[in-house]
Amino acid sequence: MAILEIKNFTFRYPQAARPALKDISLSVAKGEFVGITGPTGAGKTTLACCLNGIIPHFQGGEATGRIELDGLSIFNKSTAQISRLVGSVFQDPEAQIISSEVEQELAFGLENLGFAPVEMEKRISEVLELAGIPDLRHRSTIGLSGGQKQRVAIACALAMRPEILLLDEPTSELDPVGTEEVFQVLSRLNHEHGITVLVVEQKTEQLAAHAGRILVLDDGALVMDGEPWQVFARQRELQAIGVKIPQVTKLAGMLGGSDKYSLPLTVEQARIYIERLVRS
Amino acid sequence: MTAARQPLIKVENLTYQYNGAQPVLKNISLEIGRGECLAVIGQNGSGKTTLVKHFNGLLKPSSGRVYINGRDTGPQKVSTLARTVGYVFQNPDHQIFHDTVGKEVAFGLKNLRLPAEEIERRVNEALEAVGLTGHYATYPFNLSKGQRQRVALASVLAMHTEVIVLDEPTTGQDYRESVQIMEMVKNLHEKGHTIVFITHDMSLVARYAARTVVLCEGEILADAPVRAVFAQPELLARSYLKPPQITLLAQELGKRAIPPDVISVREMYDLLQKARADKIGCCG
Repeated sequence: MAILEIKNFTFRYPQAARPALKDISLSVAKGEFVGITGPTGAGKTTLACCLNGIIPHFQGGEATGRIELDGLSIFNKSTAQISRLVGSVFQDPEAQIISSEVEQELAFGLENLGFAPVEMEKRISEVLELAGIPDLRHRSTIGLSGGQKQRVAIACALAMRPEILLLDEPTSELDPVGTEEVFQVLSRLNHEHGITVLVVEQKTEQLAAHAGRILVLDDGALVMDGEPWQVFARQRELQAIGVKIPQVTKLAGMLGGSDKYSLPLTVEQARIYIERLVRS
Repeated sequence: MTAARQPLIKVENLTYQYNGAQPVLKNISLEIGRGECLAVIGQNGSGKTTLVKHFNGLLKPSSGRVYINGRDTGPQKVSTLARTVGYVFQNPDHQIFHDTVGKEVAFGLKNLRLPAEEIERRVNEALEAVGLTGHYATYPFNLSKGQRQRVALASVLAMHTEVIVLDEPTTGQDYRESVQIMEMVKNLHEKGHTIVFITHDMSLVARYAARTVVLCEGEILADAPVRAVFAQPELLARSYLKPPQITLLAQELGKRAIPPDVISVREMYDLLQKARADKIGCCG
């Protein structure tokens, strides 16, 4: 069942000469892990803002076409309704975290929605577990590492029990291990708990390893949509657009790889592929 | 000590703490020679920015000394040090404050009281170097963040400083913009500038730096050529870092005559082609 359906969607910011998104059509099924990538200015963040209701509710502009969340047009939903379906995590955890203690931060959204203390307690324990940070519950938010902060932001988004977790470049300020921590949590939420994940990300090595599907945007248009190997098989086009190809996949491409079996997406897959190649 | 042999930047037992809190840098000693290209890497909060802010006097040691060209930075003003050390902030919006790109780039030059023609020449040259020719009169905040990053870089370039320090110059940039910025940096290095840059992108370290300093909790964990550092993944892991994907692959394949310090896809490709040819050679 499609949890998200976009049909011929075009969006133009107020006073902009050209549309930021052009005739986008796609459908995301429940339980998918979708990576969205493309150069700056391609429309990635605009698309994310269209899915969590920031556009059109807080930002003017002109939209045509349809976006349906769980079968209902997003334009007929209030931001409160949308926020129960779509949990958002942004680039800079500092801009999102407002409390001095992790537990307070998690309680904030729940208090606003008027949950009883017992239910709040239950959900806080649950999301700390889901984000892999039960030990951070009573920590100050100030002393956390970047990766820990983003996992707190993810836990906050999960506290609303959304169908979709939407993240806009959640690792751009993180060190390599913090980045890996965030993606491992996303993979686990997706595989073990069936949460639909949509993540805008420049780090294509992470998308290749964790996403089941990758969308490439360029100049407002959806130019590629497929499994990671299908997208990373189009190496010349990606280079022209300015999308980084994971090093191991690029190497395989240079060695003549062109299909699912000859385009490894992780170091482990590449090791197996190359050992076979050198032996043959 | 003769001028020729004296390091351009010398850090001696540097300790720094913000307002009496725990030290962010603990007894750091380091020398950077003229013409080097050095990457400073380490996890979030390891002290990278705090360290490089000492190079142009934005911070002064709580204890220890930092020397630029043999002179202690302690008593020197930032405006004096800025003639030798240019600094590009991580967030260009912390740096840009004029209403046109041209004025922004000219600001430091006016402070040097250079003649107007010289200022104009240098501004145009710097804008050309960063690919922003024609944007002299543009309002900086009408540019993309990537372009504003390049405005910040241009204002440092125009100063013709011996040393250029860049704090995460590619964060928030897409792949193409990152490569563009780093190619510019490489160009400056080739022209003789000494470069110090901070990054989390290990493939950029592999591609552009010769030497890398790994910081971990305010201390130097390693200070060595890039290949030597990437060949030690356990050491990098202590500062939440990982070698580039291609280096990890080399280490996985290690037993098969692929050295553990491969740092580029091209290098790996050539090694594998050779391994395949040798195999054919021995069996044929």
